[in-house]
Amino acid sequence: MVLCIIALPIFAILGIFSLKYRKLTAEALDCLFRTATLRKCRSGLDDKIKSAMTGKAMKFSPKLARLIYRNYKLISWIILIILMWSLYGTSVGIYNYYLYGNCNGPDKTGFCALDPTGKNSKISEIGVDVQSEILYPVFELNDPVIGNKSAVLTIIEFGCYACPYTKKAEPVVKEVLDYYKGKVSLQFKTFSIPHHNASHISALASDCALEQNAYPQFHKLAFEQQDTLTKSNFTSIAKQLNLNASKFAECVLSEKYKPDVDADTLMGVNAGVTGTPTFFVNRQKIVGPKPFRTFKTVIDEELGK
Amino acid sequence: MIFKFNPESCRKDFAILSKPIIYFDNACMSLKPKQVVEKMLEYYNEYTACGGRSAHRFAARVEDEVLNARNEVRGFINAKDALEIIFTKNTTEGINLVANSFGLKEGDEVILSDKEHNSNLLPFLKLSKKGIKLKFVDSNRDNSFNLEKFEDCLSEKTKLVSVVYASNIDGVANPIPEIVKLAHKNGAKVLADGAQAVPSIPVDVRTLDVDFLAFSGHKMLGPTGTGILYGKMPLLEQMDQFIIGGETVVDSSYDRYTMEGLPMKFEAGLQNYAGIIGLGEAVRYLKKVGIKRIHEHEIDLNKIITDSLSPNAKISIIGPTEAERRSGIFSFNIMGLDPLDVSKILDVSRGILTRGGTHCVHSWFNKHNLKGSVRASLYLYNTEEEAKIFAEEVKKIAKI
Repeated sequence: MVLCIIALPIFAILGIFSLKYRKLTAEALDCLFRTATLRKCRSGLDDKIKSAMTGKAMKFSPKLARLIYRNYKLISWIILIILMWSLYGTSVGIYNYYLYGNCNGPDKTGFCALDPTGKNSKISEIGVDVQSEILYPVFELNDPVIGNKSAVLTIIEFGCYACPYTKKAEPVVKEVLDYYKGKVSLQFKTFSIPHHNASHISALASDCALEQNAYPQFHKLAFEQQDTLTKSNFTSIAKQLNLNASKFAECVLSEKYKPDVDADTLMGVNAGVTGTPTFFVNRQKIVGPKPFRTFKTVIDEELGK
Repeated sequence: MIFKFNPESCRKDFAILSKPIIYFDNACMSLKPKQVVEKMLEYYNEYTACGGRSAHRFAARVEDEVLNARNEVRGFINAKDALEIIFTKNTTEGINLVANSFGLKEGDEVILSDKEHNSNLLPFLKLSKKGIKLKFVDSNRDNSFNLEKFEDCLSEKTKLVSVVYASNIDGVANPIPEIVKLAHKNGAKVLADGAQAVPSIPVDVRTLDVDFLAFSGHKMLGPTGTGILYGKMPLLEQMDQFIIGGETVVDSSYDRYTMEGLPMKFEAGLQNYAGIIGLGEAVRYLKKVGIKRIHEHEIDLNKIITDSLSPNAKISIIGPTEAERRSGIFSFNIMGLDPLDVSKILDVSRGILTRGGTHCVHSWFNKHNLKGSVRASLYLYNTEEEAKIFAEEVKKIAKI
């Protein structure tokens, strides 16, 4: 009976393509029904599977065949438990994938079979381990906000202007802010990625743009021109934003806001950020350029509290 | 061991043997040589027509070929006349025909052995509801026929003795000549179920003096859906029809019909011409090889298997221990293992195709409280090497 439980869904799926498996599905179903109604299974499907397994094992070793034949019930139960466990794991994975874009959950970046390329979880990593003691980031009044400053919820994003995954998340962030217009805002914390050449300097530049009241414009333009983001083209960016170019250049080159930039990065490290982009919706972490529904699930949950 | 018959000489005729299998389920279904398949194809490709109805050239050819097949079968079992050969679907139909047309009446007695296939049990079991009494002859301990008990069963009310010639459980052949003598002495007629015997044992109906003999084509290299009922002409002539319709009458009106003569009166409706013609070719093939040689070959192979497996304490052979008494059948059980499982394991592990179960003889297995048996049944194309492989594999399975 045990293997009939396992066989039923497998044969049912195969039965879509083959008549042979439809017959086996019917046998498995009949076996289950009869067993459930305390009658003897008529089809003998369990026995057929048992002898087929034993026969296969005989090809390799009579001892293995004996082990299977004599311990068939135990093996069946083990297979059933493994199947149930994997079905549970698969269900959780599908649930997580639907809600968070990753089988493992919103703040995980491990391999996901439903997202084999990992496009929803890719981040630019700094190569540090997650801190054992997490200090959740806080909204800072003096730092710029994208969206409504008096919004009830502010997402804190740790990102990098030179990071392709942070750039990939931008349209979703925009969609989120548009969807929750007035209710949700974003505070972008620059997080320096050592192996991205323009990471640190672009972080400095964003503060220098803020100094000239051009932060939102810089934020937008920096991502648009990410591919050409180098030390030398900040002059060009200053011109495009109608900034005082010499003041902007001096601000960037003198690393005027290095303490602020370093403080943001440290805040991220303390919060358990290992790469960009990483978002905090209050204490819930979203890692990587997750789809809109992931943000919506988390934000709705937080707004409902 | 020197073999009188070399199976390699005929294996090339069986296309299916190119597959990696050892076919040991011949008691259920024999394989078909290309000659039989081609003969059937010839009918479909060259002269498809109705026999005995239309008058065109194709129909005439069909008539000729069917007649040839009838004559081949007649010669094969040494019947007196081709008109004594009735084509049926299978053994079951032949037995049903006799059971229902022989003219058994309430109070008549029919004697059967305790090893009858459902084909030879159920038609009479059904008749028993109409007041026909059945008597069963218990077999000896070694599963052979008990003539003394049979004699005890005979009475003046016994009208028919219907017994299996060679059992499909264990291959043991019943003493048909002795059974016939005793039955005739008592005024009873004898129907022999020859499904297993005719493909493997030289059968001469005139020497046996048997009144009816039913057998199947598919167990003797012939196509499926073909069978033969032999009956002595006077008996067949006086018997009423069983199934009637097309070709069974010479004339009919709205209130009467005039029965056809033999064999048509028993061959209702359009016949399986391709099958009958193919069966004729199968008989030709068997004659060419020689049924005696086939029988000896089967016994030689069975000896190899029996000698190899009979010393194994875990293996119990059904029937006598001597292979020569079991013809081409080796029916066995392995202690602690389900026969269906063993049969399946043989298939999966080594591609050895046997039959596991009750072989349509539920009554015998129920009586002996057995779930069934594994039956390896041999035929002309099986080899010594196959017999050895089978024996070795069974030994391995017995260790499970």
